[in-house]
Amino acid sequence: MARGEGTDGQKGETKRQAFLKKKDLFLFFFVPLLGIIIIFFFLSSINRAYIKSKVEDLVKEQLQATAEILKVNISHFLSENYSSEEIFRFYSGEENIYYMALLDDQKKILGWHSRFEGYLPLSQKDIGERESWTIDSPAGKIFNIFTPFQATDSNTYHIYLGYSLESLEEMIIHSRRNFFILFGIIVGIGIIFFFGIFQLQNHFRQKEKEAETERREKERYKEISAFTSGIAHEIKNPLNSLALLFELLAKKMPDEFRQDISLGSGEVKKISRVIDHFSASLKPLELKKEKFSFKGLIEDIQGSIIKEEVEIHYEEEGEVVLLADKGLLSQALLNLLQNSLEATDSGEIRVQAKKFRKNILITVQDSGKGMSEEEIKNIFDPFFSKKKDGMGIGLYLTKKIIESHEGKIECESRLGKGTSFFIQIPGG
Amino acid sequence: MVAIMWIILFLVSLPSFGQKTENFYNVDQEIRIEGKIQNIVMEPRYKDKSPFLIVTLEEKDTKKLYTVEISPAGFFDQDFHKGEHLAVTGSLTSSGEMENNIIAREVQSRGETFILRDKHGFPTWRGGKGLMGRKGKRKGKRF
Repeated sequence: MARGEGTDGQKGETKRQAFLKKKDLFLFFFVPLLGIIIIFFFLSSINRAYIKSKVEDLVKEQLQATAEILKVNISHFLSENYSSEEIFRFYSGEENIYYMALLDDQKKILGWHSRFEGYLPLSQKDIGERESWTIDSPAGKIFNIFTPFQATDSNTYHIYLGYSLESLEEMIIHSRRNFFILFGIIVGIGIIFFFGIFQLQNHFRQKEKEAETERREKERYKEISAFTSGIAHEIKNPLNSLALLFELLAKKMPDEFRQDISLGSGEVKKISRVIDHFSASLKPLELKKEKFSFKGLIEDIQGSIIKEEVEIHYEEEGEVVLLADKGLLSQALLNLLQNSLEATDSGEIRVQAKKFRKNILITVQDSGKGMSEEEIKNIFDPFFSKKKDGMGIGLYLTKKIIESHEGKIECESRLGKGTSFFIQIPGG
Repeated sequence: MVAIMWIILFLVSLPSFGQKTENFYNVDQEIRIEGKIQNIVMEPRYKDKSPFLIVTLEEKDTKKLYTVEISPAGFFDQDFHKGEHLAVTGSLTSSGEMENNIIAREVQSRGETFILRDKHGFPTWRGGKGLMGRKGKRKGKRF
């Protein structure tokens, strides 16, 4: 089945748009999105590093405070002659203390306690250089402190403490997780946002192009119309004179020449009619809209075209009332029905109308000869006709009338089966 | 009855923490030895913890005997046999009653390497994200 439409796409233009699309996708989508992601990533990293550093400082302060308290307590226990084992027993329940050791003034270990078997990562290298440091362990980061104190017995001792930074690690993990969630949200929103902008921009650009093309077409059409109208006018004047001359000749000439003169007069009238149709097709349509019953319109048309072998059936779903230019629409439908009648030797033509939302859908279907694909492609072109004496203006005007109502017309046909015209027209 | 009470009191008064000072992994005393296994036993090393697999190793050059503390016995799935060759990297914690005691960090046997502790002495069997288990020819069997 062949199908023809009122508008055609251009491949070259589509290719050019596809090229622009790729370029614009990069310019309007990836570059801004990438920029936002980089800025977010950069700021977020700085922020996280700052928070981490601050929290570490806080933990260090807290640990130093804990160490100070321990010094006082241990000093007290030592003065009470508690053994190091007994002292550590008091602190064995502290979850945050992973290990601790008590050392004498020579940094010899007097006693120690660890939550993990044999784990006391105290190195003489660490002791000499600094008071606090962190080490990484499979159980997380451990903050170490090694600090001297003087007990009440005036002896100097050292305390070594390994403090769990689990809460800090958890906070960092939490912060990292939040970062990725936020990052994902920003990327998601960015994709939707920029895709939306891109689509919108693309849509506007396409509409702009269409409007520009339409404007150029109109200008061209206007120029051609003005030019051809001028030619038609120039031809029409001598033709009128010629027609009068033929009439005078017909009166004055003997009878044996009258048939030839009549033939010549007929040809002149034919040319004149062609020019009239041509001029009519060039004139812009001015719509005078009114409300009317579509059924009444069809009945009026049916009265003016009769072919005995062909029946015209009209069906409608509900009452179909139109707001349109009755005269122009009548002309458009008359053209369609005439075409269908001429294409159908015998059988029927079905006209159906129904309201669909705010549109009226009209179908004119005949059981005639049908058309080839090539014919359908050109069916709405001006001066295209299959008939010997046809001028090819009828369907062109029909399309023009329908489109002037902001409607559209399509055609489907099968050779030997018939042709259908589908009209969608607003104003129901 | 009084005797039972004394026993309970004695047990309660036992410190739950506070191992012998020589029994921690001293990172400054790390050595590597190789030798033959002379004896294999399981014995408690840390209070309230599972018994450890302890191997007596005869150093191949000096013929000196070392007690090597491997890991909790339930954690180690490799069978050792007397006379077998073993290479151990660990911390020498010899002092007092625990003469020539080594806390193993890495053990090599039959072409396989078993990581028991990290470089600071953190025990692998206590989890975390560190290196765990064996590396070498045999793979797939979790240690």
